[in-house]
Amino acid sequence: MIAVENLTKVYGKRAALDHVSFEVPAREIFGFVGPNGAGKTTTLRILAALLAPTEGRAFIDGADVTRDREKVHSRIGYMPDFFGVYDQLTVAEYLDFYAACYRQPKRRRQKIVDDLLALVGMTERRNQLVDTLSRGLKQRVCLARALVHDPAVLLLDEPASGLDPRARVEVREILKELQAMGKTIVISSHILPELTELCTMIGIIDRGRMRATGPVQEVIARLTSGRRLKIAVLGEKDTAIEILTPLPSVRQVTSVNGTIEAEYEGDERTASDILLALTGAGIRVSEFTPMAGGLEDAFLRATSEEV
Amino acid sequence: MNPVARALWNPIVAKEYRARMRTWRSPFAITVYVVLLGGIGWLVFSAIANNTFGSGLSNYGQTLFTFLILFQVALLAFITPALTAGAISGERERQTIDLLFVTPLPTFSIIWGKLLASMSFVVLLLILSVPIFSMVFLFGGIELDQVLDAFAVTGVTALTLGLVGLAFSSLFRRSLVSTVAAYGAAFMLMAGTLLYGLLLPTEYDVNGTKAPAPPAVTLLSPVLPLFTIATSQPIPTYGTRFPNAYLSTSGGGGGCYSAPDGTTTCYGSGASLPSGPAFVGQGVTQASTLPSNTLVGPVTQASGTKLPSGLFEGWEYWQANVVMQLAICLVALVFSALVLPPVRRFRLRLRPAAAPA
Repeated sequence: MIAVENLTKVYGKRAALDHVSFEVPAREIFGFVGPNGAGKTTTLRILAALLAPTEGRAFIDGADVTRDREKVHSRIGYMPDFFGVYDQLTVAEYLDFYAACYRQPKRRRQKIVDDLLALVGMTERRNQLVDTLSRGLKQRVCLARALVHDPAVLLLDEPASGLDPRARVEVREILKELQAMGKTIVISSHILPELTELCTMIGIIDRGRMRATGPVQEVIARLTSGRRLKIAVLGEKDTAIEILTPLPSVRQVTSVNGTIEAEYEGDERTASDILLALTGAGIRVSEFTPMAGGLEDAFLRATSEEV
Repeated sequence: MNPVARALWNPIVAKEYRARMRTWRSPFAITVYVVLLGGIGWLVFSAIANNTFGSGLSNYGQTLFTFLILFQVALLAFITPALTAGAISGERERQTIDLLFVTPLPTFSIIWGKLLASMSFVVLLLILSVPIFSMVFLFGGIELDQVLDAFAVTGVTALTLGLVGLAFSSLFRRSLVSTVAAYGAAFMLMAGTLLYGLLLPTEYDVNGTKAPAPPAVTLLSPVLPLFTIATSQPIPTYGTRFPNAYLSTSGGGGGCYSAPDGTTTCYGSGASLPSGPAFVGQGVTQASTLPSNTLVGPVTQASGTKLPSGLFEGWEYWQANVVMQLAICLVALVFSALVLPPVRRFRLRLRPAAAPA
């Protein structure tokens, strides 16, 4: 559904995007993660055909974002990270205006507005001025606005930023419902735990370069599994730490709640070497488990080193 | 929907109407406009009642109309840039412009919608001024076609100022900058072009058979055609002058004599002036290049509402003005359509683009 090939965007001498490539199949929720200034907004703006790439290509449902802007716009619903609303318009008028901009027939617009307000849970606020809504409610209205033409793809730039926990949960539920309706969603966010729960795919971007991309659990496993070990020993914990610390493959050893957590570099063979070093020294190992890291761990690893 | 209807119709107009008329600013602006225009009408009316402008009822009508129409165009020169200079840049400042750009609305429709909404307000103001202008017909001296011509010039002036404001609004990111630029352009159009006529007027051709017209650029200002429409004659001596050598006579006098038939005859130093109702030349003191007692001329001076020579020879002043302003409108419209899209086909950078956060 979305294909990005070697996307590069240069501002002056600084490359905001450096040959970024990824793909998002239909009906997936793709989480786009990266620190501030990593290139998330730039990528989304290029996908929304609001910015021309310096190099590379991107396609939305087969439409080239630089050549078929009209097709792209008809297929996407875009929600920017910062957005304004028109004062003096009610919620229903605001949505009706955008439905008209998307050339929805007048006789259908009323139903579209009613359905969208019901979807985002704002039916009772239809006659309230948009400008008087809280940020969370404005986010919901903006999400509804992005859906007035029933697009196949949603590009959401930080949709949960500035929201309280309750509002975040509500937005998350709406996005899940949209996925169930068959939408493909690209969502950039800093709130990593929520992305783990919500997204089916993920892309980690840092300093304009895509560090990792793929299904969420796969990326997490690739970046974290096998690199941390949970080790439990019978007695002699301090001796075990003394044995582990000088090993060249071990980066860090910590004692956590009676067990040892060892961070190391290498693969499964390295892990078996560590186990051998312990047992060879006569340490009785009762547990030796590779720890599965979370998205946060994967994110920190991906953005702190070259992958 | 057929392509023409699709190009003309757009939802921005309805949205702008709705938003504009829900604020206190619009009724306030309408009230101030009517009060000021009515006020100037009342002042002129009072002056007429006190015989300030001399006798002749038809002159009263002309005088009242001249003041009203010039004051109206000056008011619109203040109002129109304010309506359009923030139309696009305001969307940028409110961060709503991207939401419009991702809709299928073409760039031209966005500009067209903004323009139509602003110009509708100007048309409303013009309609509201009609009762005030109808006072003119109490005195006579002004025909309906003069009023229509004057309103056409005023309307086109507002359109020009509106489109120039939109062009600046499309170019600049900040409404403050675009507003200042739009008012600067309005000043140039209204007064700058007139100033040009004072500083660089057309010189009389002493051997010419046609009266000189003011420089074409001065016709951009609506003041000249509006004055001409109201008084049925151009502003006397504006935008034209005698060559320096021609004026530099000395001693015994010399100068130009306007005959009752409209022609002007000029004499060098030493010539005795015939008696007549008017002595037009000024600064006539020294003839450095012309020999004494040389008859120079005759030179025809412009009269009537048509341009006697130049680029628009034979055209009414207001026609030349409307054509030139419409040309500016076209340029401003094309310029706006070129600079507004987020992804331009050409690069026009006032400063390096900032990367999004």
